[in-house]
Amino acid sequence: MISFMFLLLLAPDVLFSLTHVAVISPQDPILRIGSSLTATCTLTTELGLHAGSLYWTLNGVRLSSSTYRTVSANILTIELHSLNGSQQKSGDNLMCHGPDGRVLAGSCLYVGMPPEKPVNLTCRSHNAKDLSCRWSAGGPGETHIPTKYTLKYKLRWHERENECVSYSVEKQGYSCRISANIALFTPYEIWVEATNQLGSATSDISSLDVLDVVTTDPPANVQVSRIGSLEDQLMVHWTSPPELKDVLFQAKYQIRYRLEDIADWKAVDNVGNLTSCRLAGLKPGTVYFVQVRCNPVGIFGSRKPGIWSDWSHPAAASTPSGDLLHRGSCDPKASGQNSTLRRELKQFFGWVRKHASGCSSVSIKLYDQWRVWLQKSHHQPRNQVQQDNNS
Amino acid sequence: ASLAAAVDPSNNLASERSSIESTYELTKYLEYQLKEIKDVYLTYLGPPFNEKDFSPPRPNSTALTLPSAATRLELWHGLENQARLAQNQRAYSILLAAVRELARSTLCPSLKTSLLHFCTGLDGLLGSISALMNSLGYSSPLQAAARPTMNDFARKVEGFWILRELQSWLWRSAKDFNRLKKRLRG
Repeated sequence: MISFMFLLLLAPDVLFSLTHVAVISPQDPILRIGSSLTATCTLTTELGLHAGSLYWTLNGVRLSSSTYRTVSANILTIELHSLNGSQQKSGDNLMCHGPDGRVLAGSCLYVGMPPEKPVNLTCRSHNAKDLSCRWSAGGPGETHIPTKYTLKYKLRWHERENECVSYSVEKQGYSCRISANIALFTPYEIWVEATNQLGSATSDISSLDVLDVVTTDPPANVQVSRIGSLEDQLMVHWTSPPELKDVLFQAKYQIRYRLEDIADWKAVDNVGNLTSCRLAGLKPGTVYFVQVRCNPVGIFGSRKPGIWSDWSHPAAASTPSGDLLHRGSCDPKASGQNSTLRRELKQFFGWVRKHASGCSSVSIKLYDQWRVWLQKSHHQPRNQVQQDNNS
Repeated sequence: ASLAAAVDPSNNLASERSSIESTYELTKYLEYQLKEIKDVYLTYLGPPFNEKDFSPPRPNSTALTLPSAATRLELWHGLENQARLAQNQRAYSILLAAVRELARSTLCPSLKTSLLHFCTGLDGLLGSISALMNSLGYSSPLQAAARPTMNDFARKVEGFWILRELQSWLWRSAKDFNRLKKRLRG
């Protein structure tokens, strides 16, 4: 019941429609950044208000009355100078208010710049089946007002121009994908036209052969396996990407690998066109992540360096671990537990007293020597060692 | 013969009641969706539209005069089932057209997509209501509203109020459908 009392309060008790109270001129103007504008608020009905009591806001911020001018009892103007680019694409909100703050009229200002030549036009063909192009806006000003981009393309020596429909906006710019009837063996000419209410611009024409910009899927079936009991080597196998298995080209491959908990990758170039590779110089008993990618260099006679695919999903394997001696010489186990360390140090001091006469200060060298000694006596039962130290 | 007649209506009402329940759920879902879209849309309109206490004058356009969700309590209470449904149907058919127009004129592509997606939900709600009216034997005349031309600022203000009105309607419809459910039970 209470909720409907609330609905009663929502019922409009005022109000005038906007157009009946006051009018701002100009309506929805489109202006260049840095330009000036004189706007007028004209009271159209008898509200008992004088133009001198009104005020202006732009995007909710009150504008200084030093820029106002009362032309007559019902006309107030404002001078706006050095306009900045619009805060939102729907236009800046310029409003004329009564002294009590109520909105009397409004106008949307679109402040921007005519577009500059779109730049960084690059294209990729996925498996020679489509053509995806990216570009960036040529200037910063055109992003403040609605600017439309059209990617156009045609085959060289042909007349017909085509447009790429529905481009998408990404972080770094714009992209559009041409998926129908991609022609091979004849170059494409591609460009971007940018248009907005203040002007238009066309990018340089990019001429490309689809085969020079082919990128494939990553290699498939990447597998990493041990080589017998070799501790420092792993074997990597993969197959060429399935989509192009019927196409004769010599892909070149690249491998990268890293330790499980280290972010840096090591790369193996010059893998050639074989589909397996032996990794050497690895740490024993360690997990490695491996990825492979490929480049369809020379596809159908292309002379360009080619474009690398994405890295394959990581495959993982571990090298066989070494024997006890090797384990002992690795970094000491991160015990982090004071009780273990203290017990060990206690034993160590006992040993120092016994084996290093006149030694009041402990040195790292002695500690090292003791560690070596400890390894050598690893085969002896632990008790015996303790008895020696506690004497 | 009279026995058959007694069985049939109650069966129909059972399916109507479940249809009312799912329509109720739909209004709750759309109410939730609208809250999210409204914030994004008001940010798109720019300040002060997205400021907390901002309230521009309410325009006189069709979408915002008939029918309004706001109604006097005793009138709302006393609404007959057919009138109650008819008011809902008329409201959503007008508001759907208005939101579609909002979507069409939105310059931000992702917001446009969200609004159009929301419209399919609204369309579904309208369809549910029309289907309910048909199965209860009520007629449902629909008429299209003409759209006046207006400047961009006035369109922003209208958009602001359409979303508000839609919010009120979704809120009210939930109560409408609850009331319908009770009335059809007795």
